[in-house]
Amino acid sequence: MTVVVRAQSRQRYLVRRITNTVMLGLTGLATVVAIIPLLWIVLYVLIQGGRFLSFDFFTKLPTPVGVPGGGVVNAIVGSAILVTLACIFSIPIGILAAIYASAHPNTRLGLSLRFATDVLSGIPSIVVGIFAYTVVVLPMHQFSALAGGVALSIIMLPTVTRTTEEMLKLVPNSLREASLSLGAPEWKTSLRVMLPAALEGVVTGIMLGIARVAGEAAPLMLTSFGNSFMNTDITHPIAALPQTIYIYAVAPYKDWHDKAWTTALVLMTLVLGLNITARLIIVWRRRKLGLG
Amino acid sequence: MNTSRAVYVSTRQNSLENGSSINMSRLIAAQQETALAATRNKMRMINVSVYYGSFQALIDINLDVPEHRITAIIGPSGCGKSTLLRSLNRMNDLNPRARTVGKVLLDDRDIYAPGEDVVDVRRRVGMVFQRPNPFPKSIYDNVAYGPRLYGITSRRELDRIVETSLSRAALWDEVKDKLQQSALALSGGQQQRLCIARALAVEPEVILMDEPASALDPIATLKIEELMHDLAVTYTIVIVTHNMQQAARVSDYTAMMMLREGTRSGEVVEYGPTRQIFTAPRDRRTEDYITGRFG
Repeated sequence: MTVVVRAQSRQRYLVRRITNTVMLGLTGLATVVAIIPLLWIVLYVLIQGGRFLSFDFFTKLPTPVGVPGGGVVNAIVGSAILVTLACIFSIPIGILAAIYASAHPNTRLGLSLRFATDVLSGIPSIVVGIFAYTVVVLPMHQFSALAGGVALSIIMLPTVTRTTEEMLKLVPNSLREASLSLGAPEWKTSLRVMLPAALEGVVTGIMLGIARVAGEAAPLMLTSFGNSFMNTDITHPIAALPQTIYIYAVAPYKDWHDKAWTTALVLMTLVLGLNITARLIIVWRRRKLGLG
Repeated sequence: MNTSRAVYVSTRQNSLENGSSINMSRLIAAQQETALAATRNKMRMINVSVYYGSFQALIDINLDVPEHRITAIIGPSGCGKSTLLRSLNRMNDLNPRARTVGKVLLDDRDIYAPGEDVVDVRRRVGMVFQRPNPFPKSIYDNVAYGPRLYGITSRRELDRIVETSLSRAALWDEVKDKLQQSALALSGGQQQRLCIARALAVEPEVILMDEPASALDPIATLKIEELMHDLAVTYTIVIVTHNMQQAARVSDYTAMMMLREGTRSGEVVEYGPTRQIFTAPRDRRTEDYITGRFG
């Protein structure tokens, strides 16, 4: 009897071990598979785009088909302007709304904001483009960087709002009480205590938002339209990096295909550079405050 | 009865340097009582009840807070001590479900009356919390936070307030050379004294302390208790504490709180000079509690 039980338990033990090994292997495999696309994309863009990268690419305007050289400085400047506009529109609204929602989480307005944010983040970007076309381009009778900025800010808004709200909720309530007990009104408490304490997460949210909109092409087709020349007037059409990639990539010319890869590399590097800079600033600030 | 007297006498003695005789402590207690008689009430709670939704947390509290004295609130966990304390500077208002009935007078004005400015109430009635909660800012900015709220921007003026407040909180000598360093780098006891300095910087009249030493080691606790004695000269102090020895050591008046039988609502069962509460409690429950026969 004892022998039988022991044999059975040994068999069960083996089965358990094998199951464990198989499951561990599967999860490990899935992890590797999930990492591959990132590495693949980065390497491919580096190799394909790196071949034609030159200093001129950052400083010169595009050249016509067949003419060698030239760059995408108009698109770099255009993207910078568009993203800046998107930030100007979305960050103050997003942060203020998040402050309200985190201080009054279960009120009608607070709940509505969360619902609206979720829905907004699910709306396809091209639909946002059509919306911006209707409310900005049509009344102005012209495509413009402004319209592009509005479209991008709408896409960016949910990310900024949601992450800021989540990060504000993570700040210990004791800090809020300390400030209020000194007689600070709720809004000053949020701006001077809660927001600085949550800054790291808020900046991360903003960076995620920027990374997302910096790569949007679809809504810009209907709003900022694109421009082969340098433009810094926000009431006029303006070029953008993702859109330039699209135009170069769908054209039937070999040298434009190469330029599409190089532009992709530039876009990727700029977004990455912005992210790294933001992280460094946060690390520096944390060290200054002795937060480790 | 003898046991409770022993607790009181021994703790009083401990608080005196060089452990003097019983006669000495009686003499001091007698002097204190004379002084107590002369003081006026800084705050008064009149028939105060606090509700959270339909739940009644406090029943019909009547309590006087004498000026320039330390009033301790003792009692078992969950009997509403913190709720009572937080009703004195309207911190309960932060809970949207909280409702306060009755009057809380600060210098004979009801702080819950319509039109009373809650910001002004909280400036005049400061608060120190159970766990030290300095802002993640520099030591200087922590203390200057309050004055800046009230519009003081002159560097010289802020410097003066920071130095005075830190000195009053017995922290200046330890931090005067590192005012720009993060407050979070200080020890727990130093952080708590910084929080006291931060509260003092807005020139409050009353300071509420919610178990200010419960998260600290015995030496840091002693420093906070000494500090309270010094502060009581200028301010009026109300302290909530779990620690009966602490109440006996530091306070002039003690209020004993309990849950009313058969409910989950707290009430004050006895209130009087600390000496009387600890040596001749009138309420059976107080005596049971302070002699350790209860919860």
